[in-house]
Amino acid sequence: MFDRHQDLKTIRRCKRGEEAAFKEILERYRGAIYNLCYRMTRNSEDARDLGQEVFIKVFSLLDRFDENYAFSSWLFRIGTNHCIDHLRRNRLRFLSLDGGVGPDGEEYEFQLPDTGPGPDTVLQRKEALERLEEVISDLPPHYRAITLLRHDQELSYEEIAEILQLPLGTVKARIHRARNQVQQMLAARSYDI
Amino acid sequence: MNGKNKNSGPPLTCDGCREGLQEYLDGTLDKPESLRFFLHLRECSGCREEHDRLLGLFQMLDSLPDHEVPADFDAAVLASVPYAAYQAMEPLRRERVPVFLEEAFLPRFVRARTVRLVGVGVASISAALALRGDGSAVLPVLVVAGLVPEILVRLQGLGRRALESMGRAES
Ligand SMILES: [Zn+2]
Repeated sequence: MFDRHQDLKTIRRCKRGEEAAFKEILERYRGAIYNLCYRMTRNSEDARDLGQEVFIKVFSLLDRFDENYAFSSWLFRIGTNHCIDHLRRNRLRFLSLDGGVGPDGEEYEFQLPDTGPGPDTVLQRKEALERLEEVISDLPPHYRAITLLRHDQELSYEEIAEILQLPLGTVKARIHRARNQVQQMLAARSYDI
Repeated sequence: MNGKNKNSGPPLTCDGCREGLQEYLDGTLDKPESLRFFLHLRECSGCREEHDRLLGLFQMLDSLPDHEVPADFDAAVLASVPYAAYQAMEPLRRERVPVFLEEAFLPRFVRARTVRLVGVGVASISAALALRGDGSAVLPVLVVAGLVPEILVRLQGLGRRALESMGRAES
């Protein structure tokens, strides 16, 4: 999906300090990173701050970028980790409301009673997508990230494994569990999509 | 599981179908395995219902709407880039080499020392056999193919060295 070769050329120009090259990278990736951050946090201000921080970090670390890997993988790795760190830091804020930490350090969520429209309501597609976004944003952060990388960024399992530095089998197992959880949460909230 | 023998795989059970349905929809199963799912789904309305539900979810997940990036997004980022530091570091960087002369341009397995050694070994053995008069038509092909990784790596090295000496002549 992303052109690895073209990225490498642009990154080389960035390393020479060419402002235009940084603009090109932003042009290519700001939408993907902003949307990743938005869906991780479901808050446009957080998404803007986090997205900007990701690019600032990446642009200051270009000398550490290993050219054996795709730039997009490195960028998404930094982006994903940055969002997850942010969610961890702010966890106390939400803890009492909708979650806790399991023994293995992964967050789990409690089901809240549903106050949304019942199954009889005919939802428009747009509304259905909003409900789905809401459910995704209530997934534990790791599941959230993996779901977004797969479905929103349309990356292959192999690419996701490279981004998250996880074995392929773990990536598959996690995404399967994430989808199952989405289905369960949709059902629990009587969201019919 | 059932990769090797296409025709001997037992028909899929409903449990097996439910368990592998996501992989089936992801398109990551091999063909014979995929065919078992296809056949089961054709016969079993219960699993087909589950299949359709999951497919709907996949399609929804794939079509989440994009949110528009705030207009002022770039400014803060671009203002923070250490342009001067990068420009200052530039002369220290040995490269300025065209991408096709970069090591990373060749796939990693081509650059691997073992692959190159094995290639040269295969080529020499094939050459020796061919010289002894073993008339197999495969041998010349093996000679050429075996040498390819080594030659590619060496050509890159030559190119880089040529560029470096040109660079020295310039400055
Ligand atoms: Zn069945």
